[in-house]
Amino acid sequence: MNRSSGPSPRRRTVCVLAAASALALGSCAGEAPAAPTYASFEDVRADADGQVVDLWMYGGDEQGNAYVDDILTPAAAEEGVTLRRVPIVDTPDAVNRILSERQAGRTDGSVDLVWVNGANFSTGQQADAWRCGWTELLPNMELTDPGDPLLLDDFGTPVEGCEAPWHKAQFTFFYNSATLTDPPTTLEGILRWAADHPGRFTYPAPPDFTGSVFLREVLLSVAGGAGEVPLEYSAEAFDELAPDALRALDRLAPSLWREGATYPRDEQALTTLFADGEVDIAMTYGPATLTDLVGSGTLPASTRVLTLDEGTVGNASFLAIPANASDPAGAMVVADLALSPEQQAAKADPRTWGQFPVLDTDRLDADQRARFAELPASPVVPGYDELSRNAHGELSAQWVSALDEAWRQEVAAAR
Amino acid sequence: MTWSRQHPAGDAGHRVDPAPGPRARPAGTGAARKPRLPGRGVLLAAPAVVPVVLVVGVSLAAALGQSLGLMPFVGEPSLSLRGWSGAAAELATSAGASASIAIASTAVALVIGFVLAAHVLTAPRLGRVVAALSAATIPVPHLIGAGSMGLLLSDSGFLDRVLGLPDGFPALVGSPWWVAVIIEYAWKESAFVALVVLGSMSRSMPGMCDSAATLGATAWQRIVHVVLPLSGPALAVSGLIVFVYTIGSYETAWLLGPISPEPLSVRAVRLFGSVDLAARPEAMATALVSVAVGGAAILGGVAVLRARRDLR
Repeated sequence: MNRSSGPSPRRRTVCVLAAASALALGSCAGEAPAAPTYASFEDVRADADGQVVDLWMYGGDEQGNAYVDDILTPAAAEEGVTLRRVPIVDTPDAVNRILSERQAGRTDGSVDLVWVNGANFSTGQQADAWRCGWTELLPNMELTDPGDPLLLDDFGTPVEGCEAPWHKAQFTFFYNSATLTDPPTTLEGILRWAADHPGRFTYPAPPDFTGSVFLREVLLSVAGGAGEVPLEYSAEAFDELAPDALRALDRLAPSLWREGATYPRDEQALTTLFADGEVDIAMTYGPATLTDLVGSGTLPASTRVLTLDEGTVGNASFLAIPANASDPAGAMVVADLALSPEQQAAKADPRTWGQFPVLDTDRLDADQRARFAELPASPVVPGYDELSRNAHGELSAQWVSALDEAWRQEVAAAR
Repeated sequence: MTWSRQHPAGDAGHRVDPAPGPRARPAGTGAARKPRLPGRGVLLAAPAVVPVVLVVGVSLAAALGQSLGLMPFVGEPSLSLRGWSGAAAELATSAGASASIAIASTAVALVIGFVLAAHVLTAPRLGRVVAALSAATIPVPHLIGAGSMGLLLSDSGFLDRVLGLPDGFPALVGSPWWVAVIIEYAWKESAFVALVVLGSMSRSMPGMCDSAATLGATAWQRIVHVVLPLSGPALAVSGLIVFVYTIGSYETAWLLGPISPEPLSVRAVRLFGSVDLAARPEAMATALVSVAVGGAAILGGVAVLRARRDLR
C-alpha cells in the first residue's frame, strides 16, 4: 500500500485537532441571541405556561432559601411556571455563567432569573448581558413608586427596565450589648472605639460584598459625610478622597482583630467571630437575618442593632433576566409574582425572611396595606423607617472595584 | 551492612526496558510493515490522547487568548500584555506563596506518609489499624477537610475550647505562615503518600524485613536500610504528584490562609469572579502561571527521575 501521496496520519491528526480547536475557539464570537419579545403581559403569560424557570441566587441564607422553596415556588406553580432555585456561593458565579454562555454563542442560557444588584448588575450591563425594557410590562410595577431613587439607579447604574425590584436593604452594624455597654453612635466613633479596644473589631476583606460596603462607608465618613463624595466615579475624585480613607484604615489595622495581619474572609466569617465573642461589633447588609440568628441562638440574645446618627447606605436588590435566558416569559411571570403585595408581605415577615418591601404603601388598597400592618415587629431589628433614617445611596459601581483593589494593595498587603 | 543493595526485585526492575520502541523490534521483519507502525500507534493512542489534547489544549489556548486580551467579554479583541505585566510583582509574590505552601506541604506529607507506611510494614498488627485509618482519610474531600481543620484549629475552635490554649498560642488559621493550610494538605496527602508507598512494595517488603530481622536488624535499622531505600521511587513520584496538586488546589488555601499574600489559585479565582471585567486577563495570566509552575515541576521531576536510576 502506498500512502506517500496522502497526508501522513500524524499530520491528519494534527489537522483534526487544529480544526476542533478552531471550532471551539471560533464559537466564542457569539452573536446576540434572537430572543422573543412581548407586547403585553397576556402574551407573556401565554408563553410562560409550562416553562421551567431557573432562579440563580445566593444560597447561603436559609430563610431566603425557605421563602423561595416554600412560598414563592408554589405560587409560581399556580401560574403554570415551575420555579427551580439554583443556589450559588456568590452572585458573580451566575454572572460568569451568563457571560461565558454568551461568549460561547448559546441562546438557550441555563440562567433564567438572577437575584442581583450593584456591581454584578453593572458588569452584566457592560456586556449587554441583560434583557431590558421588560419591567414596564409587569402589572405589579404599578405598585412601586416610579420616582423612588433606589429603584431608578442601582449603584449609580440606571436600571432602565433591565431588572425588576425585589427588596430593599439597609447596611447595619450590630453589637453585643453584654460586652459593649456604651456603643458609639457614628462611624467615626466606631473607628475610635476600635482603636481604643485593640482586637475587638474587624471587617470582612473586600472584595467581599459587606467588607466592600464598609470600605465605602469609611470613605464617606472620612470625607466628612455622604454629600462630600460624588456618586459618579472619576479618577480625580478617587485620588482626592480615597487616600485619606485608606490611610485611616491602615492606621487602624494594628488595633484590629489579629492586629490586622489578616481579615475575616466574608460576612459569615465575621458573624462567626461575633458569635464566638472574638469581636464586639459586626455588620451586615441583610439585617433581616439577625432576627433568625438571634432566635436560633447562633448569635447571643444580647445582640442589638447599632443605628448611626449620620445614617448608613441603603440599596435595593433586583431580579434580572439574562438576554439569552431560555425561559424569559416564565421569568417575567415570577418577577411579577415576587412583586405582588401578597409575596412582598410574606417575605417581609421576620419569621419568614424579613426583607424590606419595595412597594409604595400609598399605592396599595386598604386590604393590601393591612397585610403589611399586621406583620409582627422583630425583637432585634427596628423597622425600615428607623433603620433607613438619614440613609444615603450607593456610590456608582466603578468606585467599588477601584476602592477594593486599592485596599488590597495599600492596606492588606502592607503588613 | 549490604543487604539493602541486594534486592532482586529492584535490580530486575531496572534491567527491563520499560518502553520498547519501534527500534527494539527485530530487524528484517520486512520494509513493507514498517511505515504502518506510526499510523497504528497513533490510532491506538488516539482514544486517550485526543480528549486530553482537546480539553487541555483548547482550555489552555482559550486561557492564553483571554490573558492576552484576544477573547474579551466586551469590546474588540486587541493584543495586550497588561494581564501579564500589569501586576508582575503581585504575580511573583503569588507564585512564591504557592511554591512555598506546596514545598512545605509536600515535605511534611512525605515524612508523615513514609512514617505511616514504615509503621504498617514493620508492625503488621497495629499497622493494619493505622493503614485503615489513613486509607479512610483519602475519600474525604479537601473542602470538607479544610472546613474541619478550620473548626478544629481556629482561634475559638474545638482545640481551643477543649484544651483552653493560652493567649500567646500562635494563630493557626489565617496565619501568615499558612500553618493550618500546610497541616491540612500534610494530613490528607500523607495518607496518599503512604498508600502509594505501601502499594508499590507491600508484596516484597515483609519478606525482606523478616530476613533483615533474622539477620539481627533492629526495627530502626530495618526502616532506614530496607524500607527507606526501597521507597525512594514511590516517594519521589508521589511527592511530585502532591506538589503539583497543591500548586493547583484552591479551596484549602482560600478557607484557611491569610487574606494576603494570595497563592496563585486563590488570586486567579478572585480575579475571575471580579465584578470588573477588565480583571479577566489578569485572572487567566495568573492561572497560566500556576500551570507553568506545575509543568516546570513535572518536567524537572521527570528529568531527575530519569537521571537518577535509583529513583526510577
